[in-house]
Amino acid sequence: MSPFDRRQFIKALAAASSVPALAFPAIARAAAKGKVVVVGGGYAGATAAKYVRLLDDKIEVTLIEPNKTYVSCPLSNEVMVGHRDIKTIEYGYGGLEKRGVNVVHDFVTAVDRAKKTVTTKGGKKFAYDALVMSPGIDFTYQGIEGYSEAVVEQFPHAYKAGPQTLLLKKQLEAMKDGGVFVIVVPKAPFRCPPGPYERASLVANYFQHHGKKKSKVIILDANDSHSKKGLFNQAWAKLYGWEKEGLGTNGMIEWVKGAEGGLVTMLDAKTKTVSSDFVEVKADVLNIIPTHKAGRIAFQAELVGTSGNNFEQGWCKVEPMTMASAVDANVYVVGDACVAGEMPLYGNPGAAFDMLKSAHIAMTQAKVAAAAIVARLNGLAPPEPVYANTCYSVVGDGYGISVAHLYRVVNGTFKYVPAGSGVSMMTMPDKSPVPPIYRKLEAEYTDGWIRNVLADAFA
Amino acid sequence: MHRGVTFALAAASFMVAGIGVAAGNIEGIAHTCNNCHGYNGVSAGGSMPSIAGLPEAYLKNIMTEWKTGKRASANMTRLISGYTDEEIAGLAEYFSKLPWTPVAQKLDPKLIERGKQASQGCAGCHGPTGKATMAGTPNLNGQMAKYIELELLKYKDESFAMPSAMMRMVVKPLKDEDIPAIAAYYASQQ
Repeated sequence: MSPFDRRQFIKALAAASSVPALAFPAIARAAAKGKVVVVGGGYAGATAAKYVRLLDDKIEVTLIEPNKTYVSCPLSNEVMVGHRDIKTIEYGYGGLEKRGVNVVHDFVTAVDRAKKTVTTKGGKKFAYDALVMSPGIDFTYQGIEGYSEAVVEQFPHAYKAGPQTLLLKKQLEAMKDGGVFVIVVPKAPFRCPPGPYERASLVANYFQHHGKKKSKVIILDANDSHSKKGLFNQAWAKLYGWEKEGLGTNGMIEWVKGAEGGLVTMLDAKTKTVSSDFVEVKADVLNIIPTHKAGRIAFQAELVGTSGNNFEQGWCKVEPMTMASAVDANVYVVGDACVAGEMPLYGNPGAAFDMLKSAHIAMTQAKVAAAAIVARLNGLAPPEPVYANTCYSVVGDGYGISVAHLYRVVNGTFKYVPAGSGVSMMTMPDKSPVPPIYRKLEAEYTDGWIRNVLADAFA
Repeated sequence: MHRGVTFALAAASFMVAGIGVAAGNIEGIAHTCNNCHGYNGVSAGGSMPSIAGLPEAYLKNIMTEWKTGKRASANMTRLISGYTDEEIAGLAEYFSKLPWTPVAQKLDPKLIERGKQASQGCAGCHGPTGKATMAGTPNLNGQMAKYIELELLKYKDESFAMPSAMMRMVVKPLKDEDIPAIAAYYASQQ
């Protein structure tokens, strides 16, 4: 749609609107209204850059990202087990450049919030009126004796997609039948909450298709519950012989909760053995996912919480109406680095602070931030946001499940909307089993979703 | 050229699941729909439908049926239930006013040919080339092939609650091989 059409359309929409007292204020058309700098070109950063430009092309937008090609973490588990080529989850930045975003491939070394500037390794300095911080996550590598960044090639995390994904793929492929694939899950919060369990499902699926049916996946989980647990357990029982929680069962997948020994505290790299207070497991392939924190530059910019629980310390708190940082109104933090909202996470009241860290919600947050920034630079109040999330997981052939979340802002706080949220049905309303077509549809929707989120963010 | 910048300012208040929420910002909500349905409602992912330019009454009806439980969906019944009736009406209006944009797709020519023959029962409402001839009927020309195929499977599968008796009647006699063929045929039309 041309800009002219768009304006006409909105005028027409305002005139025709059946909702009373809706107002679409006319906007001043000054030249060069301001400068927006975006740090980090993942789903959140790319979306923020694109949508600022779409809403107001008089705003200058610079996106700073070290990599020339983005590799999506969502769906990288499918790459790991050979269901899709890594090229299907890659995207470049040419689309954003076409939309007038100034894309700079460089590494941000410092944010000066007092002077409102960003400095790069390449020696460039960028001034901003509004700064979007979308640095994603970093790992702490803490909590497991004998484990450090130095051994991530030996024990890949594959929780930042790219070489790590392909490394774990290679190890999986080289594993003999009867081997044990161990996934060590850190304490929440971590990105893609269903990720480790989707991974376990797809690895078991891989065993079935590649003559490795005597092999096992063991999940040692620092947490006592997890995303879509009922649905995963149901799928595992149907597809992979899942019996119950704990070690020593007959199924291909075993899950040990934190309270019963899942909280790994020790690694013996020589024997590929991980242990906790209660259990010791020797692995053939060892996938250790380290604990997470906000991306490095968020710490340098002093945007992260320095006290409180897991969901406060090491993450960036934001204002619900705009995604602006709680400590600086000129800085907007979107994506995995932020903590946003109330979310009764797996029945753990201590964890009731987070929107899930997903690409989908990251893009929603970025669109909210983009609208708030454009409003501010035009001297308007921010529009009222609604936050929507969807996470699909493919757990077997033609078998997909999902969770959806909806949040509104009520009295200045994030409010989880249960009516617009929830997981795929466990049973039909009359308690009969869910017909296979539902699971098939969600497996198909997963592929449609990845194509669309990548295009919506980067094209 | 200047790009208009617009924001709906909340005025009226509605209730969702006991939470008082302000109405407005349809465009903001619509942008979140783009995540799955493509930028401006034009899909780039086979299993997800383009929604830009579909008839307003059709869009409103479908969303309302999900919300009220009359129509099954593997996923949309959940998210849509969190939106107010006013928001649903606003979204239907918003997307209906965007242009219908057929998407070029890689499709098997043999399948397209078979689909042309097999789709004659569809033409009465959806048109021989997918340009709907009946008010309130969605266009199918250049709609995503995988999506059309999955919709037909939903109508064919009696365990899936789809409310259109007409669609059920037309889809029931179709052979399994005709379903991806019809989808490919309509998807190929521009």
